[in-house]
Amino acid sequence: MTITAVIHEQQAVPQPKQHGKPGGLLRHTNIVTGVVLGLILAVVTYVIGGLLVPWGTENSNFLQVGESALVAATYTAWVIGFMIGIGAFAGPIRWWLGHDLTHADAQYLAGKGQGRGKYWKYTTDHKVVGIQYLVMAMVLLGLGGLLAMLIRTELGVTWAEVFDPNFYNSIIGTHGIVMVIAMIIVVAGPLGNFIMPLMIGARDMAFPRLNALSFWLLFAAVPPLASNLLLGGIRDGWTVYQPLGTQAPVGMVGYQICIITFAFSTGIAGVNLITTIVTMRARGMTWNRVPIFVIGILSAAIMGLVWFPMYQYSQVLALSDFAFGSAFFIPQNGGSVWLYENLFWLLGHPEVYVIVIPATAALMELMVVFLRKPLFSYKIAIAGFAGVVGISSLVWVHHMYMTGWSPAAGYPFMLSTELISIPFGFLVLVMLGTIWRGKVWTRLPMMCVYAMIWNKIVGGITGVYLSDVPVDQYMHGGMFVVAHFHFMLMGAGLFGAMGAIAYWFPKMTGRMLNERIGSIGFWVSFFAFQLTFGSMFVAGLQGQPRRVLQFDNAFDVSNWLSTIGAYAIGIGMLIFLYAVITSWRSNVIAPANPWGAKTLEWQTATPVPLENFPVLPVVTSDPYGYGVPDPYLTIEKQLTDEDQDAMVGAR
Amino acid sequence: MSELTTNAQALVPRSATTGEPVTTTARRNRLGIWMCIVSDATGTLALLVAYAYLWSLNVNDAWAPPKDTWADPLPFWLIWVGAVVAALAMWWAVAGIRAGRTSQFITGSILASVVALVTFIGQIVQLSTFPFDITDGAYASTTFWLCIATALHLSVVGFLTSAMIGRFRAGRITREDHSHARFVAMWMTWVCVAVFLGAFFATTMNASPNTNSPTFGTFQE
Amino acid sequence: MSIVDERSAPADQPEEPTNRPDATHRLREWLARPYVRPILTMFVVFCLLVIPIGWLVVFFMNMSGAPASDVMSEIEKTILVFTIVSAPLMAITLTIIVYSLVGWGRVTGDEPPMQESPAIRSNATGTYLWIGATSLLAAFLVIWGLLALANITASSYGSIPSNQQPNAAKAIDINVTGQQWVWTFEYPDQGKISSDVLVVPIDTPIYFNVTSVDVIHSFWVVELGVKIDANPGAITNTGVTPNKLGTFNIRCAELCGMHHAYMETQIQVVTQDQFDSWVREMGGKRTV
Repeated sequence: MTITAVIHEQQAVPQPKQHGKPGGLLRHTNIVTGVVLGLILAVVTYVIGGLLVPWGTENSNFLQVGESALVAATYTAWVIGFMIGIGAFAGPIRWWLGHDLTHADAQYLAGKGQGRGKYWKYTTDHKVVGIQYLVMAMVLLGLGGLLAMLIRTELGVTWAEVFDPNFYNSIIGTHGIVMVIAMIIVVAGPLGNFIMPLMIGARDMAFPRLNALSFWLLFAAVPPLASNLLLGGIRDGWTVYQPLGTQAPVGMVGYQICIITFAFSTGIAGVNLITTIVTMRARGMTWNRVPIFVIGILSAAIMGLVWFPMYQYSQVLALSDFAFGSAFFIPQNGGSVWLYENLFWLLGHPEVYVIVIPATAALMELMVVFLRKPLFSYKIAIAGFAGVVGISSLVWVHHMYMTGWSPAAGYPFMLSTELISIPFGFLVLVMLGTIWRGKVWTRLPMMCVYAMIWNKIVGGITGVYLSDVPVDQYMHGGMFVVAHFHFMLMGAGLFGAMGAIAYWFPKMTGRMLNERIGSIGFWVSFFAFQLTFGSMFVAGLQGQPRRVLQFDNAFDVSNWLSTIGAYAIGIGMLIFLYAVITSWRSNVIAPANPWGAKTLEWQTATPVPLENFPVLPVVTSDPYGYGVPDPYLTIEKQLTDEDQDAMVGAR
Repeated sequence: MSELTTNAQALVPRSATTGEPVTTTARRNRLGIWMCIVSDATGTLALLVAYAYLWSLNVNDAWAPPKDTWADPLPFWLIWVGAVVAALAMWWAVAGIRAGRTSQFITGSILASVVALVTFIGQIVQLSTFPFDITDGAYASTTFWLCIATALHLSVVGFLTSAMIGRFRAGRITREDHSHARFVAMWMTWVCVAVFLGAFFATTMNASPNTNSPTFGTFQE
Repeated sequence: MSIVDERSAPADQPEEPTNRPDATHRLREWLARPYVRPILTMFVVFCLLVIPIGWLVVFFMNMSGAPASDVMSEIEKTILVFTIVSAPLMAITLTIIVYSLVGWGRVTGDEPPMQESPAIRSNATGTYLWIGATSLLAAFLVIWGLLALANITASSYGSIPSNQQPNAAKAIDINVTGQQWVWTFEYPDQGKISSDVLVVPIDTPIYFNVTSVDVIHSFWVVELGVKIDANPGAITNTGVTPNKLGTFNIRCAELCGMHHAYMETQIQVVTQDQFDSWVREMGGKRTV
């Protein structure tokens, strides 16, 4: 007699053999076992490896080759140990043995009946993973923001060196990469995992266990990166151009292991998101009824999935140079610095869109709700996303105009880079067109939309400047570039993410966001942001190079203003964070659909039950059926009718 | 519930965890595998780009290994043949389970596992017997990494093919629900392509076409 | 009779009248809407803001010194043109944001507003206008950029070695070596003299071969608009013809380690006579 289970409307689904209690080994694993096992394995590797490594070998920069290899092995052991400890390998081993999950197992893994403990475990429920990503993103943003304050302190104190130059260089590198990771996950992580499956009417992601895996890989990747500051730091900016990277102390290994691990995390998340969106939409949700946010997540996932391995391999090869003395990026031994730059920017540029597009799409999704108006020209929006995804892989060389790699490449890549501004302009058109003539409901998420459009247009236009080779000949490597990409990544990405999180906060946490305090934080940050990076544009125009800690007195004033602005951003962000944390703890309970929105995630209960929908929804139209008939068009029609009458009369 | 519906449900095997027909989950998983292959293809492309780019530049005249001791081409192709044989065995096994010939499936899986294991060992042997070290110039480094990538690919293949045996014994691969076996064969087909590209680059592109690269740190070409 | 004939209207009948009034009528009706004139006015005002902004851009760029070569003049002109051309785009965005906050009405409160906005799902005219305008702007900027690039490549000698230039006799070759954290300039044709300050004669084409002996640096002569990476293991080339006497800044524009910020030196543009005597002082040969 086969054992069966009742799964929703299916009465009797045959089950595989139940091995042990539901959940099996994962009943006993959580973050504590993960950290403990990771640390044990790391220490054991360090001790045993220390005995085995042939000490004394030095590379061309007189660094101990053995030490780098040992540190690399230790970090790898940490990652593997942590993943064993959290229970990530239980899945593959069960698969190998043929002990597939039963329904009861799957329910346990999704966190059924585990209270708050499920947030500290290898939990597969997409809502749990979404919350985990949200907290992780906030932690990383906090760390990156703290480092940003240190950078601005150094640059504001124009009369002295506050930090040791090497430490300063480590701060800028760590700030950069921490913020890039945070911005990659801040929308696609929490909202792509929590909201997207709800939005398409699915019960979970396509591969729930891979979902947990992608988060915990990210978690395992962060300690190596954070610890680099204790091990001498990465003194090379977030791009870690080689061969400067090979001169760094062993902290560099932390960066490389972090990126390699994070790339696995992103790739797995990308596979999961794409498969979920393509195969798990609710019945009736055809491609022209998909909410635009889902399209944005899909675009970002495609770019991340296709291009992230380039970055990953650039770090694998750099680690190989650093720890084993191979010659990929070391010119004395036949390596090429341009190879690194190409591999790096092949992801490096699409990654900008991986950050900006989900935020843009999220704000498109929410602005219709606050304007009570359909999205303007859904098809143009799709075309915009498709165009950006398509062209994004053909523009990377604009980061390398001044490398001398191929002066002739400036012509085609100037063309492709300025071409991408056209689909990007589509996205602006959609947002402006949706605002056009709308009566706006002035809530915090909508304010973020205005902020984001402004920042995006400033960032976009300065981006067009930089896409031009002659202009870049002056601006490249200068503060203008820094101001430009902060307008793009922070101005559009982070303010967009703040709006998106404010909008979906009631659904994710079950409580309303305190908008009074939140708005104060938001507006302080916004205006301070304009001051900070506006004066950074000025410093760039004056000719200040980036990544310097001392400079001509000519740049003093703009740097002072920039530093004042940066501190104010910090204060604003802390106020916003305070609003988020206090609201999460104790604000009023949110109703299921506080905004009166039409997308599916608002149609289910809050807090969202384990498998999202008691009965899977069937979609019959797109979610933008807001609005009343255009009064002017009615008048026009009447007018023409009258005109016709007059014509008939005249005849 | 009438007996009729029970029978009808039994005809369509359903996923134990989500209750969907296995054909639905199989389609979904197949897309996932395709995505993994795309991602892995970009990684392989990165290695091939590194090889071809360093080959064409010959920076500091340091592409070639000391005394031009290029790697022996034969092992590269033997390893590729191993990967192909393993993939063919797996496809043969899939054809067997499709037709309900379980013994053909188990024979094919075992054959694929054994061949994959032997090929993996061959790859390790090749890695340890190169006439140069990983530090001996750009050719040595890139060739080492192409072979390391092949070794990683083959170890994954070994894990997947050997799992087929255990999964079959546990009754998880049947005539009606054999999608996992097909995914393994799909992955192995991609591995054949990746191994071929690596072998092709490492065996055909040896001496660099650029003979007048500038000497490091000087202005002499 | 074939099917086609049945479907097509007989030629002598007039076209079926449509409800849609002609374009002029529609434009007039559109202009008569209460929100249109304020928006157009705001748009024009915001467009005019480009005048002070453009002036500021040039002012800031010239703060550390006016352009000292044709290349830099070209760059500055390009930046100014880009500022002017992108002004309408900035202006329309700002206009719609501001007007939306003040003009089309606002709703406050905790409950979703009952009153809905007009359901405009698309607008062919607006869309075509936007796509046409942005494409035209982009096309203009691309063409301007390509021409400017060709221009500065020609005036900086681009990647063509100096000995292939028509006026090669006059040009001066300089080998630039970046090294943590100093620049070294070697004059191969002037008896291989080397210096850590760049001295060049005015109105003479200078041709730079650039390399590095450790990590990547970027050779940036600020007021002359020269920038090229100094890559270890490769030689990159660029050039410039200074047209202004004076002392200008050379900076490193690529993070190169601890003292990146201090990797600065100066370029002195001097007369030919001063240059010759400087070469003699340094123990080199006279210029050929």
